[in-house]
Formats: sequence, C-alpha cells, structure tokens
Amino acid sequence: MTRATNVAFLPLLAALLLTTTACSNKQEDAGIQSGSPDSAAAQRDVEAGQALVLLRGLPTLGTVHSVAIVELDPEAENFGAILQEFELPDLQLPLHHLYYSPNGRLYSTGLDPKCSLAEIGLSRNAEGSAVIDGVTCLDTQGQQVGEDIIWHSVNGKEYMFITFMGGTGVDQADGGSIGVFDPQSNAVIKIIEARKSKVAKGAPYLLYPHGISAYQDRMVVTSTIHPDLATGVGNEITVVDLNTFEPIQNIVIEDAKPVGFPSSPVELLFVRPSIVPGVAPAVLVNTMFGFETWKVPYDETTKSFGAPVKLYDGVKAGTGVPLEFYGNDTELFVSHSLPGIVKRYKLSGLPDLVPSGADIQTGPGAHHMIFYTSASGRKLIAVQNNLLNLGNAADNDPTDVDFIAKVNDHTITVHDLGSGERIAQVSFKDRYKKGVENVEGLFGSGFVHHH
Amino acid sequence: MRRLVPAAAVFAVLLAAVAGGGCGARHGEPTPLPDFSAPFVFGRFEVPADNPLTRESVELGRLLFYDRRLSGNNTVSCSTCHQQRLAFTDGRRTGIGASGKPIAFNSMSLANLMWGPKHFFWDGRAPTLEAQAQVPIEHPDEMAEDMDRLVAELGADERYRNLFDAAYGGISAVAISRALASFQRTLISSNSRYDQFLRGEIELNAQEELGRKLFMAHPDVKVSLRGGNCIDCHSQFLTSGFSAGLDGFSNNGLDDEEQLKPGLQSVTGDPAHRGMFKVPTLRNIALTAPYMHDGRFATLEEVLHHYDGGIRKSSTLSPLIAEATNRDSESLDEISLHLSEAEQAAIIAFLNTLTDNDFVTADRFSDPFVRK
Repeated sequence: MTRATNVAFLPLLAALLLTTTACSNKQEDAGIQSGSPDSAAAQRDVEAGQALVLLRGLPTLGTVHSVAIVELDPEAENFGAILQEFELPDLQLPLHHLYYSPNGRLYSTGLDPKCSLAEIGLSRNAEGSAVIDGVTCLDTQGQQVGEDIIWHSVNGKEYMFITFMGGTGVDQADGGSIGVFDPQSNAVIKIIEARKSKVAKGAPYLLYPHGISAYQDRMVVTSTIHPDLATGVGNEITVVDLNTFEPIQNIVIEDAKPVGFPSSPVELLFVRPSIVPGVAPAVLVNTMFGFETWKVPYDETTKSFGAPVKLYDGVKAGTGVPLEFYGNDTELFVSHSLPGIVKRYKLSGLPDLVPSGADIQTGPGAHHMIFYTSASGRKLIAVQNNLLNLGNAADNDPTDVDFIAKVNDHTITVHDLGSGERIAQVSFKDRYKKGVENVEGLFGSGFVHHH
Repeated sequence: MRRLVPAAAVFAVLLAAVAGGGCGARHGEPTPLPDFSAPFVFGRFEVPADNPLTRESVELGRLLFYDRRLSGNNTVSCSTCHQQRLAFTDGRRTGIGASGKPIAFNSMSLANLMWGPKHFFWDGRAPTLEAQAQVPIEHPDEMAEDMDRLVAELGADERYRNLFDAAYGGISAVAISRALASFQRTLISSNSRYDQFLRGEIELNAQEELGRKLFMAHPDVKVSLRGGNCIDCHSQFLTSGFSAGLDGFSNNGLDDEEQLKPGLQSVTGDPAHRGMFKVPTLRNIALTAPYMHDGRFATLEEVLHHYDGGIRKSSTLSPLIAEATNRDSESLDEISLHLSEAEQAAIIAFLNTLTDNDFVTADRFSDPFVRK
C-alpha cells in the first residue's frame, strides 16, 4: 500500500476503521505446536536474523528516509539494533518495496518521483559484515510510484516487470503503467500503458497497477488506487498477453463495498505449479477495501480465466484491509492490516484457502513480513505493522491524524512461526523516530519473493 | 636432503625474542586491511577473531606463500603446486613436492576459500585454513619441513622478524599458519564474465546462457525441464560445494564399489562417507585441468562425458546424481544425464565464463620475489 502525495484519503480510512472495529475478533482454533530448536541450530548462519528494512523519516521528528540492516533475532543481545544504515536525505518520499533479482541484485521501488526505482549496492567488509554501498536511482522514463517487481521469462527471454501506480505522471486521473525492463542493464524496453480515457470504449485498460504476477505467457496486475489516495479507486485486475505486452482483459473483483468504495485489489498471486506442484492454476487477489480474498481460475489449455470466486470475507471474519501474500515451503501467509493479523493457509490446499493454523496476532497495520530462524534454531516470522506510515498527530505532524496512527503501529513484531506467540517487538518510532516502510528481505541468502 | 639451519640463526632468533620482550609484543597495532570488499552474493564469511585480516598478516602470508624456505630442502614453496596463472593449481594430475614423489591428490585451486565447505583438502581433514596451512609444510612428500626448524630459519631473516613482529608480535609456528591463512583468505575471484553478468555489466552469449540455465537446473522430465544437474552440488554464485555440515562432500560416481577410495571416511570414520570428496569451486575451471581429486580427467569434455554415461554405481553414490536424467524412458540400470552434444558444449561454454583474468594476473596475489 502506498501513500504518495496527500491525505485526502482520510475519510475513507475513518470509515474503514469504524467498520472493522465493529467487527468481532473471532479467532480460529490454534492447532500448531511451538517450533523447537533443531540440530541445524549449531550451524546456523548468525546473519540469518538480520533484516533489510526500509525506514521512513517522520517529518516532525527530524528524521530522514533510509535503508537499514536491522538485527531481528530476539536471542541476539543487540536485538532491534540498526547494524548498517544508508540515509537518503534527498528524497521527500521513501523507498517502498525490496526485491532480490534471481541473480542476487537488490532493487527497491520508490514513492519519490526522483527515485521510483533503485538498485541498492551490497557488499561485505574484511570482518565479513554487511555493507550498504549505495543507492542508485534508475531511469524509469517518467514512470512514477513504483510498487511491485517480478522477473519472468517470456519466450525464452528474461524480463523485469514493474508496476508503477502513478504511471507516467501522478497528475493523470486514470494513470498507471507496467515498466518492462532489461534485467541486465536496467534499461526500459517498453512501457505498457492503456489509460481508460485513451483506449476505445470497452477495450481493456490498465489503472493504478500495484500487485503483479505471471504464469507462462499471461501476466495479471491489480487496479488499486490513485497514488494521491483521493482521485480514484479500482476494482479490477487486468490480464496482459506477454506475447504482445498488451492488456487483453479486465476482470471485476468485487461484490460488495463494505466502506462505500470500490474494492481496490491490491496484491495478487498467480498460483502455479512452480509454487505448488500439480496445482490447478488460479489467481488469488486481496481486495484492500473489499476486505476479501478472491480466486480467479485459469485454464492454461484455452488460456482463459474463469469467474472470480470469493474465498474469504473479511467483513464476516472481522478483518480488514488484506494486503500481502507470502509463502514458505508449506504455507501461504496473508496479512490483514486490521485488526493486525496474519492468516495462514496450507500451501498444498491452494488455490483454495485451507487454514493451517491460528492467526498470528501482530499489530495494527500488519503488512510485509520475513521468515528466518533464531540463534537456537527457532523458526520465526517478523511482521511490519504499518499501513500508510504517516506521522503522529501528537507530534504536530501535518501528515497524521489519530485514527490513521492507529493502523500505524510503527513496529516490527517477531513471532514464533509455529505457535504465533509474540516473542519480541521493536518500536521504530520510539527507538529511532522513524516509521517502518518495508521489511521483506533478509541480508544474505534469505531472499524473499512473494509474487 | 634436509637443509640444516645454522646454529647462529637459532641464536639470532632467541636473541631477537629476548630483545623484543618475547613473543606477543607488537610494534603497534596491525593495520586493518584496506580496500577490502567481498561480493554480497557469495554469502557470509567469518574470519577467526584471533587472526583478523590485516595489512601486515596478508603481506607476510603472501611472502611465505612464495618462499621456498618453507620446504626442508628449499626447493618448493606453496606456489609450486598452487600457481597463480593456473588459478593456484599446477596442471598436474597430482602434485609433486620436495620428495619428488607424486602426492596423493590433485592440487586444489585456492579461490574463494572463505566460502564453501568448512573443511579443507579433498578429504576434508583440516577444519580451518590455519590448520590446513601447516599440513603441507610438514608432509614428507610435500614440503618436508620441520616447523621448529622453519621458525628458526625465518627468524634469522631480519625482514621476517619485522614482519612477524608487526603482524603477530613475534614469530612462531602458529603465526606462520595464520599468516598463510590470511593471505589465502584474500584470494577472492570475483571478476569473471559470470561475475560481470551477475552484476549486470555484460550479457552472456546464447550458448553461454543456455549453459548457465542447464548448470542451474536439476532435470525434471515431468515438466520438460532439461538440466545439467551441476547446481545440486555446486552453488549458484560461488559454484563451490555447499557450506552446511558435510553437504560440500559428494561421491560423484568416479569409481564402483570395489574401487572406492576412503575420502571423507578417512576423517569421519563413517562408512557412509566412503568415496565422498570435497566438491571444489568451479571458478577458473578452464585453467585448472586435470580434474577430480586424482586428476583423472584431462579436459572438461571428459568431465561432461563422465556425468553423461560414465557414472559408476556404489553404495554411497550421490542420490542427486543417481536419479538425474533428461530422458523419460531410460533403463533403470543406466545412470546418465542424457545431455545432447550441444548441451554439453553449452555447459562448457558457461564454465569458461568462470575464468577470472584479474585473479590470475593480479599483482597483489603474485610472487613478491619476482622483480617486475
């Protein structure tokens, strides 16, 4: 979820918050036993709990945006310490998402028009410690508000695809683009853009794309919300033919408006055999304001998508603002910003959502996450609890009002992956006067992908 | 014939030790190694706390590495079997040291030693680089030197006295091993065409790219994925064996049951480790022929043919090799990747991208005794 320019979106959030706080807090029964240290503990990489974190400076607290490596092993004496930090004083808005390429290069999308896409240099010094060498902003040919990245091979050629929710200019009311990049040189190969006002009536279009996923020669993106959070909200996904790089279909993902706004599909996941062997391909979609998770079946023989099926209804379940999909070897995890939980499902059950355990109670704004092990081998999940990363009204921060602060906990909470038990937390606002913009990457070999 | 160290030299060492206040007294703190940077994708490494990388220790280690005085008869140095131009190998099936007799194993390349299996030598008998460094010096067929005698001999050299004093506070057998280990830790190969590709600086050509994809894939006929199966043992970025536990050791089907050498079993005593040897780095592999622990294959083509029909069955054969095939209807008795000639050539083309010309020509790794 992005906030790029202003806070005209506040009434919507107010309604949203009121709606979800009225929901019950029913929890599913726990059925997972606590993880226990295993024999691998003795050989554990001591770096396994070091996370790459994008931090957002809070204007009234005098801090600047940065990229940081943070110790998140609760068994470490310096838990919560920033081990390395590279500040970005020239950016008005922070970097937003982190992705490792298949070749181990680290990229970040960004909200600031000066840096909508960046490559982050990493190395090690003579002690073996992590070093953030620098942040190089890349040429996007005018595309703004970078969101998600995938690397996907089309007809034998590898591409880097990036969604830009602001398209070729946030001043466009119906903008949005997908940047097609050369993954070696980072050069723009093509900008996929199809504004509703510019295409023929009824023709497929792109609008505020955010989530992105692909299988074979089909790519799907969401239509989420205009970056100013006020001009418009989407309710569809767009199918792109990767043989032509052209949008070929829009599919509505909506059947109710619990807060009075379009459903705002945010993240999606093309469930495919490389994720679940033998699976029937389908697209899972989280709707930020519909509070739902949907399934769109895909028939790869006819290359056709079936009618969307609602798998999860947040209004009934008492949750709101579902955001991210992440997976490990056995489970799929979905973050719900309100009241702040991560739901978990059996990977083998996909594309349907078969619960694999109790919800993990995190914090308001539950969003991005990482998986790793502690020094003793305990399996952990750490969750960023920040939806929009605005400041705090108590600090006279003009970007903040109280109810938004309630979905911005400014924390990373660390939980036992098996039981969901909260083990520790770091409040970045209290400790560093910064918000957490993103945690979805580890330093070292623990690469995290979620598309 | 062992060269005798003059008694005067021994006396000189004792005198220097007394005058210097004994071992452990440094002339100032060692200097942190300047301009050191290792690729992030190689992963984490650890340097022993009691042997940090310093300018002084690395300089000393480089000198020792190339000094023939480290052998009993002053005829060979470490660099005799580990020549920079051959990526620190010697081009022989097995090395020949001070005794003139063939050594039991092929000389291993010394690239990127801070990563990969945490066991050194083909059979993994040294747990650290420091421990490894001392073994060839004392081995009767390699350098045939006595460590006490070596300490005395080097101690008679003022240059060495000063260098050891600066790096370790004095000369000792331990300091010799530490210095050699420090120099070897700096032997980082990270500017091959593959590295440049990983950094996004170049493109691989079509054949190299096909080879890269084959290298990185375990074949799966069910999803029509063709693979060379290399990555099951050689990691993606380092192309070395894996570092966890004994994962970096494998029986790659060189011999049948009766002919299996002890390999890792000679260290662990575990019969399940019989015939398992260290998975080497493939960095600069085009320069490090012949191949395998006993140098039995002269060319990369022979290596590829081994994996494509030459695998010998045994009780400890790697299951990742035993079940890897690109053909759906093979006989159960046949173990082969069933790669086409073009695919084998492509894998070799990719292996050639692992040659790092900077590594094999860099002054900082070269023989300091040679005037340029």
